[in-house]
Amino acid sequence: MFKNYIKSAYRNIIRNKFYSAINIVGLSIGIIATTFILLYNQNELAYDRHHEKHERIYRLESNFTISGKHDLFAVTSVPLGPAFKLEFPEVEEFVRFAGGDGILIRYGDKEFYEDALFYTDSTIFNVFTHEFIWGDPEKALTEPNTCVFTETLVKKYFGDKNPIGEIITNADNVDFKITGVIKDLPENSHLKYNGLFSIATLSERIGRERFNSFEPGAFWNIGSYTYILLKENSSIENVFEKFPQFYEKYMKSIGDQINASFQVMATPLADIHLTSSLSADQPTGNKAYVYIFSFVALFILLIAAINYMNMATARSANRAKEVGIRKVLGAFRSQLMRQFLSESVILAIIAFVIAIAAVYLLLPDFNEIAGKNLVFGFSSTPFILLEIFVITIIIGLISGSYPAFYLSSFIPVKVLKGKINVGRKGGLLRKILVVFQFIISITMIIGTIVVSKQLDFLKTKDLGFEKENVIVVGVQDTAFIKKTPTFREELLQNPNIANVSTSTGVPGNIRQIIVMRVEKDEKISTPAEISDSLKVSNVDTTGNTDTTTFQTGSSMVEHALNLIMIDYDYINLYNIEITEGRNFDREMGTDLEEGVIINEATARELGWTDVPLGKKIDFGIDLDGSARRHTKVIGVVKDFHYLSLHNKIDPLLMFLSDRPRFFLSIRIDENNQRQALDYIEKKWNEFGNINPFDYDFLDKTMDEMYEAEENIGRIFRIACVLSIFIALLGLLGLSSFIAEQRTKEIGIRKVLGASVESILKILYKEFFILIIIALIIASPVAWWILDDWLNTNFIYSTTIGWFSFVLAGLLALVIGLLTISYHIVKAATTNPVDSIMCE
Amino acid sequence: MIKTVKLTKIFRTDEVETTALNEVSFEITKGEFVAIMGPSGCGKSTLLNILGLLDNPSGGEYYFLDNELSKFSERQRARLRKQNIGFVFQNFNLIDELTVFENVELPLIYLGMNAKDRKARVEEVLEQMQIMHRKKHFPLQLSGGQQQRVAVSRAVIAKPSLILADEPTGNLDSVHGEEVMNLLVDLNQNGTTIIIVTHSQRDAEYSQRVVRLFDGQIITENIRQRVL
Repeated sequence: MFKNYIKSAYRNIIRNKFYSAINIVGLSIGIIATTFILLYNQNELAYDRHHEKHERIYRLESNFTISGKHDLFAVTSVPLGPAFKLEFPEVEEFVRFAGGDGILIRYGDKEFYEDALFYTDSTIFNVFTHEFIWGDPEKALTEPNTCVFTETLVKKYFGDKNPIGEIITNADNVDFKITGVIKDLPENSHLKYNGLFSIATLSERIGRERFNSFEPGAFWNIGSYTYILLKENSSIENVFEKFPQFYEKYMKSIGDQINASFQVMATPLADIHLTSSLSADQPTGNKAYVYIFSFVALFILLIAAINYMNMATARSANRAKEVGIRKVLGAFRSQLMRQFLSESVILAIIAFVIAIAAVYLLLPDFNEIAGKNLVFGFSSTPFILLEIFVITIIIGLISGSYPAFYLSSFIPVKVLKGKINVGRKGGLLRKILVVFQFIISITMIIGTIVVSKQLDFLKTKDLGFEKENVIVVGVQDTAFIKKTPTFREELLQNPNIANVSTSTGVPGNIRQIIVMRVEKDEKISTPAEISDSLKVSNVDTTGNTDTTTFQTGSSMVEHALNLIMIDYDYINLYNIEITEGRNFDREMGTDLEEGVIINEATARELGWTDVPLGKKIDFGIDLDGSARRHTKVIGVVKDFHYLSLHNKIDPLLMFLSDRPRFFLSIRIDENNQRQALDYIEKKWNEFGNINPFDYDFLDKTMDEMYEAEENIGRIFRIACVLSIFIALLGLLGLSSFIAEQRTKEIGIRKVLGASVESILKILYKEFFILIIIALIIASPVAWWILDDWLNTNFIYSTTIGWFSFVLAGLLALVIGLLTISYHIVKAATTNPVDSIMCE
Repeated sequence: MIKTVKLTKIFRTDEVETTALNEVSFEITKGEFVAIMGPSGCGKSTLLNILGLLDNPSGGEYYFLDNELSKFSERQRARLRKQNIGFVFQNFNLIDELTVFENVELPLIYLGMNAKDRKARVEEVLEQMQIMHRKKHFPLQLSGGQQQRVAVSRAVIAKPSLILADEPTGNLDSVHGEEVMNLLVDLNQNGTTIIIVTHSQRDAEYSQRVVRLFDGQIITENIRQRVL
């Protein structure tokens, strides 16, 4: 019986090549898209699951409450891990990671800046799962000045030879012995390290006592990632429950002094990638995109399934006779339903085979688009393959369900006599299905337009500073840092170099937050305090700067604020607008110790919008309450986006430093970039910088901050094109059917004197109305989804705008109507005699 | 074998009610060859459909092999039909996507016969009908006469006790028409009951009895000697 089904299905597919091709192509594309999205999602969901103990590993995180404001960080203090192990029996082990990017490694004549190098505890290999190529995990990082590299990093310096025992050097000429080589980390690891240095090195350098100190102050100084491994059958909740006692014991004394409190948080290792969004976090994914992509895949498949349903029912006239005969010969309805379902399933399986082959071929391209490194195959992803197959069967059954139900219902007496006009029936349902397809397609078009618009917005928005033609160079050589003023003078000799500045941060990379003491906000204070603070301001404006008044008086409050140390040229170089007051001035000797420039957000947050100039900020608060600098606001800069547009502009304080470390910003001539860069490199070497000259263009670095959106945008664009393409295939099939079916009507109309134009009008109108209905339904749906996307992911976003809807509607109309034109024009221009005779 | 008592069929559309059969009562015994004649729209085909268990009457009783069937469900009718009744249509009603062999085989598939027995039986019948050499052809590659031969093969494949033929020669020229009628006579002589609906006096000549319908009622029943 089943063989008979297959035979009849095969012959039907061959006989109706046009319709079969439309269905197979549509379904194949649907399955290709679904496979890629499944691969992508599985990769996202499998982050860090390769660690055998991942279910027991948690990352500890910090939640500071300072002046009533919460600040959440992915990093914690250095002693937190050891103290947890000491205090909580649930904690079996801890591992810390401290370090980061741009670290110089030297071996022989090879020297490079390396990213993702961390100091870590030797316990790492007990907690995380790593495969060793060389070396002993038990001993690898126990000694000071030892390191473990990944395969790729080793290859870069040592080629294929065993590097165990080799010595590498860092920027400070400290030697490290290589004691282990591990396999590269899977691409889906949230913390991707290329090399690990023993934390014993730091402890040795800082002094073991100090490094391992449980002093209260040490707990308030955060900067390392801490992971804990819980014992079997222990729960993190138990640790949380006991944390108040821990806080009391180790941290409260300082907390009370600075008017702050601390709460520990923990995220299961495997959840970090998709759920975490804390300050100082590693780049993370976004669960929403996993959902969005799943829906997109589902919709593409649905569109393809609808094509099948539409065409199968539309062409039911051709099958009606067969149904009648089979029934007369004794077929039960259930047998016929099975037959039609096997046909759609067989078609889906053909599409599956084509799709799997296509996925193999297209995987490298997809990886490039998605910024992933996915693999696919019978051995590597058997489960996904099985999932896709099951989805294929389900889609086959869904596609075939309505045709099976509908076709098998024919009454033989009627169809064999040609009494019912099969195919016409179900017309309303077909229209609804077409509208549904276009709702999806139009929503995706609108989505694509808005996503592109947002990307464009991110890249072209006026950030409040000039990011173009600025190169940024990291400076680590301490000897060189001392020489930067002269280096600057030398560079400025060259006409292609407009300005040079040093700072602790450049736009996109300003992440230092420190508790300051600031003058109290007069607006939100109680009346008594207002008069108090007014009095203080009066004292201030009269020039009486008795600082002790502020330290002991109630007019100063603690506040955690972002800061950056800059030199005299930073604001000019970046062309940041000063709205009030002035820039730091070399002529004013006091700026170094007493000046601070704030952004407008600071003035707003502290309630200083009326008279920000002259307001006091104490910086560098020690544990005894004394401040290193007592500064006053000398200037206010217009808010500029010193972080990516995902972040809102928070208060930022800019303090002056004569030689701020880390970053050298150089503005060069747009037209003579090469000459400028060559000159800088020449001077760099002349000044005896021991590190290679390694620069980035700031605008490029800033664009990279939107890579995730860029990837999403690309995937979305492709999904959109695919879904529209499949929907158009369906429209093509349907228009062919409708033209065929109405041939007689068109013939009669023409005999009665209708012009070709009037007939075209009738035929086009039908589709026109469907697309317009789809647009009307899709618009609010798209608006709702996109508005939510923009609001949850971006602080600064483009407007969706009515134009996106008009454009999407026009696009759908034009390509939709163009698609149906072939068959419709053919039908309308057929000689009426032919069309009437054909009945 | 067949007995109808006041068999009535009424078709209703929104406002119009048409009586296709009006209290038709008659009996057909096993082994008879009966022709039903009458002008277009007299109810011939309606009667044949009910006799062939493709349709239910609106009223009256229908006994087939001693079962009263007017209240049978579609599934029950299908079961009875595939075991006992073969059909031959004016327009052959072969499935275009299936070969001659597969078309003829179909009733056996629905009877659940195994593949080996099916093959033997189909080849036996095709041989008998002298169409064996065409077994791999598709219907559209055959002449009308050949197609109807295939249709007759299919009708007899399950060895039904009753064959219903609806204008079996209507789409054939006189030579092929005669061939088909002779096939039916042969079957009848081997004990199969045959009922044909026809406009053609010539075809009716082959039968033993002619039932004439007019406006849904039997007007005459002639028992006639077979011409041969």
